[in-house]
Amino acid sequence: MLFRLIAIGYLGGVAAFAATPPPIRFTEIAARSGLRFEARNGATGQFHQIELTGGGVGVLDYNNDGCEDIFFINGAAIPSLKKTGPEFHNRLFRNNCDLTFTDVTAESGLAGEGYSTAVAIADFDNDGYPDIFVAGVKRNILYRNLGNGRFADVTAQAHIAGNVWAVSAGWFDYDNDGWLDLFVSNYVVWDLASEPRCGTPERQFYCHPKAYQGLPGQLFHNNHDGTFTDVSQSSGIARHIGKGMGVAFADIDGDGLTDIFVANDSVRNFLFHNKGNGTFGEIGLEAGVALRDDGFAIAGMGADLRDFDNDGKPDLIVSGILNDSFLLFRNLASGGGFEDYGQRTGLLMGTRRFTGWGLGMYDFDNDGWKDLFFALSHLAQLDRYLGSDSALPNRVFRNLEGKRFEDVSAAAGPEFQKPAMNRGVAFGDFDDDGRIDAVVSVINGPAKLFRNITEGHSHWLAIRLRGRRSNRDGLGATVHVHLPDGRDLYNEATTAVGFASSSERLVRFGLGANRSAEKIEICWPGGARQHIANVAGDRIVDIVEEAGP
Amino acid sequence: MRICIFLLALALYGAASSSPGYAAYEKANQLFVAKKLPESVAAVDEALRLDPKLIPALTLKAKLGMAAGQFDVARQCLERALALDPRAQYAQFLYGLEAYLGNDLSAALPRFRKARELNPRDSRTALYLGLTVESLGKPEEALKLYQDAVRLERAAGTLDAATLLPGAKLLLLMGRLEESGNWLHEAEGFSPNSRDVHFELARLLLKQGDASQAATEGEKALTLSDGVVTDASIHYLLIRAYEQSGDKDRAEMHAEIMRAQETPPSKKQNQR
Repeated sequence: MLFRLIAIGYLGGVAAFAATPPPIRFTEIAARSGLRFEARNGATGQFHQIELTGGGVGVLDYNNDGCEDIFFINGAAIPSLKKTGPEFHNRLFRNNCDLTFTDVTAESGLAGEGYSTAVAIADFDNDGYPDIFVAGVKRNILYRNLGNGRFADVTAQAHIAGNVWAVSAGWFDYDNDGWLDLFVSNYVVWDLASEPRCGTPERQFYCHPKAYQGLPGQLFHNNHDGTFTDVSQSSGIARHIGKGMGVAFADIDGDGLTDIFVANDSVRNFLFHNKGNGTFGEIGLEAGVALRDDGFAIAGMGADLRDFDNDGKPDLIVSGILNDSFLLFRNLASGGGFEDYGQRTGLLMGTRRFTGWGLGMYDFDNDGWKDLFFALSHLAQLDRYLGSDSALPNRVFRNLEGKRFEDVSAAAGPEFQKPAMNRGVAFGDFDDDGRIDAVVSVINGPAKLFRNITEGHSHWLAIRLRGRRSNRDGLGATVHVHLPDGRDLYNEATTAVGFASSSERLVRFGLGANRSAEKIEICWPGGARQHIANVAGDRIVDIVEEAGP
Repeated sequence: MRICIFLLALALYGAASSSPGYAAYEKANQLFVAKKLPESVAAVDEALRLDPKLIPALTLKAKLGMAAGQFDVARQCLERALALDPRAQYAQFLYGLEAYLGNDLSAALPRFRKARELNPRDSRTALYLGLTVESLGKPEEALKLYQDAVRLERAAGTLDAATLLPGAKLLLLMGRLEESGNWLHEAEGFSPNSRDVHFELARLLLKQGDASQAATEGEKALTLSDGVVTDASIHYLLIRAYEQSGDKDRAEMHAEIMRAQETPPSKKQNQR
């Protein structure tokens, strides 16, 4: 990755509304909320490549009390790859519903084993309780939520134990059978004994990914009985060798089937188009999302597939490292693929000096336009090459009516300006005030909980789907909200957001000045549509899928 | 002032040319130009054996070190040369280049800045200082330096496509399409067979919405060998150009070529 630095050049009714929107603001409350966690990567100055990933964080309501809880992923000692002490435990924090958290790791049974990197959360067994998949280096773990505050390790019976270096994962229902399947994004072949060393003995650094052999992703089909079948080969996924990082899901072409995007590190990205017959076609090149505009493969990190311009089609954001610029692709209508939109929206130059990991496209000011949050930090080694600290403050970009993104970080509050080795970020509304918050995992530093305190009078709506024919979480559904002011908003039901992380499953909308939604249309996985009229805002609405014909 | 500098340079040249190692250095330099690098190394070592303080030999050895990836050797030679003459501008420029090529941008920046102070009329220093500050996230400052490098070379009658391209690419990145086009067309005049120039022209046309002409430029770039832009980058551009101009078959053809090039040799053997 370091080598890339020289790549430049050569080589209801509508209320009265303020004209100037209030700034997006956050206050950092982790310590005073009892959220004390440090993601340890086990680094001891030997520049082992696995130290570069990890830092996943998940948001879930594990006990169904209506309050979003937080699950942090943690590393292990190197070279043993064992969690040799509590400092390496993964940790579950229960939200006490008053914006304080209690560490319930011990009673939940989630301390974990091995060098964990990422988390993917969803109700894979349709029992109404969110389950947890933990990805890691040579070891993946599936935890079934028993519904009594405890989780059981069901990896062995599920047949999904990993033996490679997994960096991200996500749940989705690729065959629309009503049961969630699992996609695992694998990075490179890594073994401590044969790990290449880069730099000189005096100036060691992490190797460029090209020093490693890439890996294909894995797709596991849910057999409805607590077991999974590895369908990576038969689905066509295994034919594509990448260096997988973040993964995102959405139905990109409106055919009722969920597609997969994989951000790759320094090789081109993959877009797996779901053909509906159990196989996928890799169409990243044809769709125009494989590479940066100049044909350069950025060090892809996090990804999110959501509609930023409110045209009803999910767009794509991908983070990268210094001088890559983050990529924004706008989904064109009628199978026309995507167009590179970073330059037109100001993101290309606006993000060029950053290294981004986790990210999310959420409407932080509830004005009806989804904004962008990036968790940033340069690679740990870069400070001495750049002459500046590798720790960076996070960034938030405000969406200006789907046309431009404006960096509004400077006005986001004094605690937002503090640099850290930020890594994974997950999103949820922890205080149930309708403003989306962000929890950020920091490598070898205290995690941060950014409480959204954006002022103003914007209204909001959150939708909690419950599938009946579809998977119980409704993941893969697209929700369309029509507002009294004539606007149409769209969002995706997914928990796979950003890098190595998993966000709340609610589908959120900022309503702006509108106190209600005139019409809500849910397009369930498979294409069945359901309509609800006149829904009051400023609340969470539970929508249960209609029974089949 | 100019006369003083000229006289000083003359004196230094005289001092160097009277050195016992100068003949060996000249031979080494000729071998370097002829790309006979092992022979050049031997000759420059001989020159430095005869005169360890011969600055041109030290800078040549540094260049040879960088060419061989021996950056520690290059650094030691340049530090020695600069200790002997802190105003040796070329050695100072190479000192910056050594850090730049080693990705040590924080070290490259002050070295290039000092080289620029020593000779503000050196276009190479302006260009590489521009590349450094652009890498450090200062595009506006980089653009000014690229403009300065172009101005200096234009005045000296030495302007070429290589000096125009970094600025043209940055202008394209900044969305200043018309200015980028001006630079690219001038670069095309200097190097009509540069694949890099034609690739950038194709990118510009695609951004301007002329997908058909972008495809023409891209196809031309693909036939040229003079440049560093990869075939994959050009194929990717052509996929998008043909997709946008409605020629799905040609887009698919370029996608298939890219995929075939990506497939590892072992897999290719297993494929029919």
